[in-house]
Amino acid sequence: MKEQIKIGPFHPELEESVYFKLTANEDKVITDVEVINGFIHRGMESLITSKNFMQNLILTERVCSLCSNNHPFAYALAIEKLAKIEVPRRAEALRVIADEVKRVASNLFNVAMLAHLTHSHELMKEAMKTREYMQDLKEIIWGNRMDMSANQLTGVKYDLDEEKIKLINETLKKVEPKVKILAEKFENDEQLRSRTVGVGILSKEKALDLGVTGPVARGSGINNDVRSKAPYSLYGELKPKVTLREGCDVHSRAMVRFGDAMEAIRMVKELVNNLPEGSTYVEKKPQVPAGETTVRVEAPRGELIYYLQTDGSQKPKRMRWKVPTYTNWEALKVMLEDDKVENATIIVNSIDPCISCTER
Amino acid sequence: MNIEELNNALKTKLSLYEIKEDQDSYANLIAWIKLKEKKEIEAIAKTVKAYHGRCVVATCYQNDDSTHSIIYHFDIDGLLVNVQIDTDNKAFHSIASILPSANWAEREIREMYDVEPVGHPCKDRLFLDYSIAKGVLNDYIPFSKLSVGITPNDILWEKVNKGEK
Repeated sequence: MKEQIKIGPFHPELEESVYFKLTANEDKVITDVEVINGFIHRGMESLITSKNFMQNLILTERVCSLCSNNHPFAYALAIEKLAKIEVPRRAEALRVIADEVKRVASNLFNVAMLAHLTHSHELMKEAMKTREYMQDLKEIIWGNRMDMSANQLTGVKYDLDEEKIKLINETLKKVEPKVKILAEKFENDEQLRSRTVGVGILSKEKALDLGVTGPVARGSGINNDVRSKAPYSLYGELKPKVTLREGCDVHSRAMVRFGDAMEAIRMVKELVNNLPEGSTYVEKKPQVPAGETTVRVEAPRGELIYYLQTDGSQKPKRMRWKVPTYTNWEALKVMLEDDKVENATIIVNSIDPCISCTER
Repeated sequence: MNIEELNNALKTKLSLYEIKEDQDSYANLIAWIKLKEKKEIEAIAKTVKAYHGRCVVATCYQNDDSTHSIIYHFDIDGLLVNVQIDTDNKAFHSIASILPSANWAEREIREMYDVEPVGHPCKDRLFLDYSIAKGVLNDYIPFSKLSVGITPNDILWEKVNKGEK
């Protein structure tokens, strides 16, 4: 006998609003998935065209809180490309530091939620406590636990002095071994493995077809990390090591996130201890001529692309962006089908969905 | 893949097109292609698929003469390929059956601009409720503009009264 299970649109286990209609057979195996979106659609791409370039920097930071640093970063790159502005190396380094600090916190939050959903409460607490160090760091250096306001057009709004560099080093000294231990526990913990290995399968072939990115792609053995394939800012020199897993399941995606977090810590350490001298921004208001450009960055959840078209005025004529969840959503249907109903929330969590970003 | 290789792969499949090479600020290659025949987007999609590429997303916009342009953004192993097609009849050929990664992008174009991806496998709405007409980005006035729409050069209600966009 068929059974229909409805999750959402507003549900205590969902951070944001979305509506799933799952159909299950008598063995409680999912046979059909319907995802209904649109509850957080705000028409931001329309709003963008009524704001000037400076105002849009503020707006892009508020597309969502989870990827709040990636949006203004990508947007600034697009403006700077059209205005032919070369950002100082110190600003480039500071941009990467902010992004990678955010990546560590973001990934730790996702694996903590995974531990929570698999009822591994000690692991969840450890992951959240470790993340808290990064949150405190963000609050002290950037003044906010989510929206860092690090970027400005032509550079960055913040700088690091010796005291702040010392604080970052001390924080990472505490966080790095904790992330390593957590990764080992997630790799080997039997309770967690029993709920995540072989769960939410997305084959490499399907992943390629659907164009997924980020840890979802890398957990299915596909490297399309923008930092490695089309390196921007200082990533060409930093050469981030890309973690790939072949398991194609929830467990693989979680382990990729640990790999990303460890690599982020390595890059932040390298940058803060070899911070280039010089200015943190170009003292010139960007003059944006008519034109069009596309730029890409790697957010914690995967590839973020911005298309910007200008007509010589002070506002974008058209701006479009696509976040990783936009393509990863469709993959959820593949992951959920033929899996057990009880695994649905774990599988949804494994793409680390960002619905506000997706719907705009 | 570089742009010369891409061009060689496309030459025999397309009738008339323009291709230009571009770079981002970090010397990553970007290709810009403009197709004369919008139908030939299918040939592009097949080529992208043959090279294990994907559709990143697609951007639509309405031109001043009320025609629409669509720019598909493809990725082939790090090479970004932007392909523009134009349509004057509010329709274009869907490539979602060739590249499923284009699925959502085409559905979004349908509801935001009322431009139909012909042959798209899914007819469902993506984001907007059925009570909202298709083509919101062509016609609808944003609420924020309603609230703060009065500027020296842009007086909302005057435009509405004149029937301007």
